Amino acid sequence: MKKAFSVFIVLLASALLSAGGSKEENTITIWHQFTGAHSDMFDEILDGFNETIGKDIGVTAEGVYQGAANDVLTKVKAAAGTSELPDIAAMDATACLDMKESDYLITADEAGIDKSILLPAAVRAFTSDRGLLAVPFCCSSLILYYNKTVFDEAGAEPPRTLDDFTAIAPRIGQRDSKGNVTRYAFAGTPTTYELGAFIGAQNGLSYMVDGKNGHFGVPRNVLIETDGTFRNFLVHWKQFYDTGFVLNTSDQMQEFAAGRSASMLNASDRLPTLQRLIGDRFEIATAFVPMTDENATGGVNIGGSALFMFSDSEAVKAFMDYILSLDCQRSWAEGTGYLPATSAVYSDPEFQEYLEANPLYGTAVAQTLASNPEVTGIWMPSGYQIYHTYQSEIREVTENGKDIDQAVHDMASFIQLQLDDYARQNTSK
Amino acid sequence: MKRQNTKAYLLLLPSMILAVLFSFLPLIQSIIGSFLNVSQQGKVLGAAGLDNYISLFSDKAFINSIGHTFLFLAIFLPLNTVLILLAAILTRRKRRHIAIAEYVFLIPMAVSLSSISLIFREIFRGRVSIANRILSTDLPWLESPGCAIFVLALLGVFLDFGIDYILLLSSFRKIDRSLIEAASIDGAGSLRTLFYIELPEVKPMLSVIIFLAIKDAIMISAPVMILTAGGPFRSTETIMYYYYLEAFRSGNRGTGSSIATLMAILAGLIMATMAARRRHDRENG
Repeated sequence: MKKAFSVFIVLLASALLSAGGSKEENTITIWHQFTGAHSDMFDEILDGFNETIGKDIGVTAEGVYQGAANDVLTKVKAAAGTSELPDIAAMDATACLDMKESDYLITADEAGIDKSILLPAAVRAFTSDRGLLAVPFCCSSLILYYNKTVFDEAGAEPPRTLDDFTAIAPRIGQRDSKGNVTRYAFAGTPTTYELGAFIGAQNGLSYMVDGKNGHFGVPRNVLIETDGTFRNFLVHWKQFYDTGFVLNTSDQMQEFAAGRSASMLNASDRLPTLQRLIGDRFEIATAFVPMTDENATGGVNIGGSALFMFSDSEAVKAFMDYILSLDCQRSWAEGTGYLPATSAVYSDPEFQEYLEANPLYGTAVAQTLASNPEVTGIWMPSGYQIYHTYQSEIREVTENGKDIDQAVHDMASFIQLQLDDYARQNTSK
Repeated sequence: MKRQNTKAYLLLLPSMILAVLFSFLPLIQSIIGSFLNVSQQGKVLGAAGLDNYISLFSDKAFINSIGHTFLFLAIFLPLNTVLILLAAILTRRKRRHIAIAEYVFLIPMAVSLSSISLIFREIFRGRVSIANRILSTDLPWLESPGCAIFVLALLGVFLDFGIDYILLLSSFRKIDRSLIEAASIDGAGSLRTLFYIELPEVKPMLSVIIFLAIKDAIMISAPVMILTAGGPFRSTETIMYYYYLEAFRSGNRGTGSSIATLMAILAGLIMATMAARRRHDRENG
């Protein structure tokens, strides 16, 4: 009996002791979502830091893969208030609303990051009423990828507007003798990311929700119905879809790479992956995102992820300074396809040379520089639910003939419900 | 005797502490939280009354998630039961080389949930998928709602197969041989023996497997997260995946607590039915 009791006490004590782990003080822990080539490049950056500045100040930066961007956010929220919270976490815009409202985030402004060296659009992308929330790192923008071989054969130019797309769709699409579509002009169902450009660019600048797309304060009101932007988009998109050469899918990447569609929209950093997938099967090219109409001149917003800080140590600041250095940003951009976050890289002769040798990468750069920096991504609660509801409504309109005004109303009501629910449960009355 | 009981309770104590800490306390917290407005930082902002429940049932997506969960159950349960039964029946007798088949059927137990979910995603991804190549089909497996829920059910079967198989196989092999031999002497063929002697003997275990499958189907979330992420177009969003979205992704902790409370009640009902069923089986021999 005594023996059993002693065993139990020993087991309990060891379990309690092992549960209370502590972080090493000379290590900067960085949670991230990078995989494949991006992960290798990130490891190179960490090695570069550890072998130079890190060595001088006696600090080691250590990257920990934590799943997709959303998983990183979920884990950060779960670790909040514990010693498990990392020093830095790479997260995308979907994290911004939560981070802005959190009391454990050290904003880039609070950490004393020099904003003047950063690309203005990248700063705007992560700026809130708390200032610059995080350090922009993996900047990308939406671009049009197209099958140049098909476009050239059809004598078509990349479309400037959705109406242009509608006009060329029958030429770049293809049917077999039985009338079945063998190649679509476009694959994909627009959702929050794409609508950030299709709606955001309208009339020079438009927002989906108030507070400048939720960047300032918690968003309370949906705007897409009252300002008519979603309706305008749906009218043009329906005409495009009615050509019969638009495929509703959420796996546009594979459809495009397989040659089953002549174009698609995707983030600019997908280019290296696409080039690898397509190989020599056809020539790929990139172009600006088509405008919803002639008045949609706002361009696109900066997407991607940023480095959020949860420690205000000098070591973290030194790491951020290193990561924003010209050399680091240039090699990161060249190795991953991301846009450099540091302005100086854009005028750097070495980067210019790289763009000349790789003209496809230049599209995202030119498009970003030509866009209104005030066009920003959307920070709103229930991002996942809204993302899929946009797709469902667009499918209902295009495939099932749902009335456009009804779809706009349903979409706006859905977003409003999510905003109200979030406000009710997360803000004091 | 008394000393034996103390020892038994002492040995049970760690599990009981864990159960109280990680099951009962969170459950009570969830029930209370479902009537409060709790910010995602855990700050109580005031009473919500029934608001969390009202908002939950007024969300079409939640109602749909109930439908998706039961559709999943309707596909998964018969498929799982039939395949497990077939595998166990085919390998119930110890013969030469039967171990090879046993190993094959037990393979799912050696593969982690995440790995196999990722493998399934790659097999069924897009029209130019491995599945379409093998089956010479042109199905949008994970792109069309009907196909996606079927692939999810297949994954569910794969995940449960190993443990269910071992439970049923051991039950078959525990049957008193004298019963089978007596039936054989009386002239019963193998099919008659199977249907009139063996299957009634394994019935209690089969009901355990069915109830476990129902519980797994109703609680399914991680495979959804990895295989379909609720898509396409939210068509594979199950109740527990919806719960994950609300509680952890959207910061609506009150709504999350309401779902957790409802699910705890549902799980309690299933377990009570299972216990009643087992009692009934025991009482009727």
